[in-house]
Amino acid sequence: MKKILIVDDEDVIRMLYSEELEDEGYDVITTGSGHGLVGLVERERPDLIILDIKMAEHDGLDLLQDIRKEFYNIPVILCSAYSSYKGDLKSIAADYYVVKSADLSELKQKIKMALEGHIPFQSTQE
Amino acid sequence: MHIEENPNDVRAADLIVGIPSYNEANLISYPTQMASEGLIKYFGDKNSVIINCDNNSPDGTRDAFMNTPTEVPKIYLSTPPGVKGKGNNVRNLFKKSCDFGAQAVLVVDADLKSITPRWIKNLGEPLFEDFGFVAPLYVRHKYDGTITNNIAYPMTRSIYGRRVRQPIGGDFGFSGELAEIYLKQGNWTPAVVEFGIDVWMTTTAMCHDIAICQSYMGRPKIHKPKDPGESLGPMFLQVVGTIFDIMTKKVDFWKEVRWSKPTAIFGFGLGEMEMPPPVDVNLERLYDKFQAGFASHDVLWKGVLSANVYKKISEVKTLDFADFEFPANLWAEILIDFAVAYNKGAYDRERIMESLIPLYYGRTCSFVIELEPMTIQQAEELIEDQCIVFERSKPYLLRKWFDRE
Repeated sequence: MKKILIVDDEDVIRMLYSEELEDEGYDVITTGSGHGLVGLVERERPDLIILDIKMAEHDGLDLLQDIRKEFYNIPVILCSAYSSYKGDLKSIAADYYVVKSADLSELKQKIKMALEGHIPFQSTQE
Repeated sequence: MHIEENPNDVRAADLIVGIPSYNEANLISYPTQMASEGLIKYFGDKNSVIINCDNNSPDGTRDAFMNTPTEVPKIYLSTPPGVKGKGNNVRNLFKKSCDFGAQAVLVVDADLKSITPRWIKNLGEPLFEDFGFVAPLYVRHKYDGTITNNIAYPMTRSIYGRRVRQPIGGDFGFSGELAEIYLKQGNWTPAVVEFGIDVWMTTTAMCHDIAICQSYMGRPKIHKPKDPGESLGPMFLQVVGTIFDIMTKKVDFWKEVRWSKPTAIFGFGLGEMEMPPPVDVNLERLYDKFQAGFASHDVLWKGVLSANVYKKISEVKTLDFADFEFPANLWAEILIDFAVAYNKGAYDRERIMESLIPLYYGRTCSFVIELEPMTIQQAEELIEDQCIVFERSKPYLLRKWFDRE
């Protein structure tokens, strides 16, 4: 079972995404803060991370850079209520960018694509 | 065989900046000066040299380069008279890199008007960390780089799975180790020794497990932009021909690739984004050249394209200029059909490539029409969406390539 980590400071979003993604057969863990995120990823080794951008105490784009420095090959999907961050070059480091919506079909589709993504011998990219 | 002038008798270098050129006497001094300033400011502890890799230009490029005052020593290196091609120049640079035992090599275009010393820093620094190949990231006008946006980026991304936004950017960095790998490659085709060299370098790095990053240059690429309907012929043939050639040789790699992965980014925090200068595109001319293609190439297209794709392109032909639309998924399938026909060799390859040009004009016309009301950011999103369309076409490529239908 693929493990997905949701990083979002809104309780409602974490609950909604958890329910929907568990129904899809994923093992879901969540955190409401970016504090100690790299350590959490190290411990839990998720197969994919869904990362909010505009959080009360953290900027998801900065957290993305922290994740990339340590775990280059873990797919990260930026998930924000705002589309404007697509213009920030830091967002290029994410696998996909999804604008939040009540309909999670695009998010589910991008999760599938990110988990299926494969390039032969990526040893030096780790 | 080559011509070399090395007045400082340089015999070794940690870091080389190479400037390939042909008839760039009017413009080469500026990137040469900026390269020297960048090397002194950011790599003062390294043993550096700037090399102009020229095609024996008759316009005085050599004098313009050698007479540019720089703190860093310079070498003029040229192919013999009559031997042309950017790829030949870059191959001379690879050889010189190996001779000098260089750790890192940077390549910048000779016609660059917007290069700053920081470009040298951002292309070079990742090579002294963990990366073996550095591609540039810069803001370009939404109409600039139509071969990049409609062919080179979506094809390299969807085929090899690595997202390198400017695979034919012209400005690169690579490690000395990668220079040796490049030099050992046997596929120096006539297209690679000319403008095919950029996409060849990028895809060779992708296929050799080289750690790649993209480096933000901080300023737009300002050089000699061209109207895509006016003067892209040879460059188009060489770039696309090289993409098709490499597909044939690297099939064992790319057949395993699914979707795509982002590439590491270097060089944030460079301040306010500067807007690139406008690029004019003559849309009517693109439309007319697309329509004219049916008269010249219809028979070949019927043979190269699958029946369904040919039917769809025939529908596009019936659209007036005011309603013209050439969908991205049709364009992806056309490129796949052409790549497959090129690989199978059922038709003369030059004829295949020539006949692709009017279709490229048609897609470019539609793409520019779609971009017209958009900001640069919206245009980037459209290009990303097109890349997903190409990635979704991968099963079609696999079916066609391996005759599974």
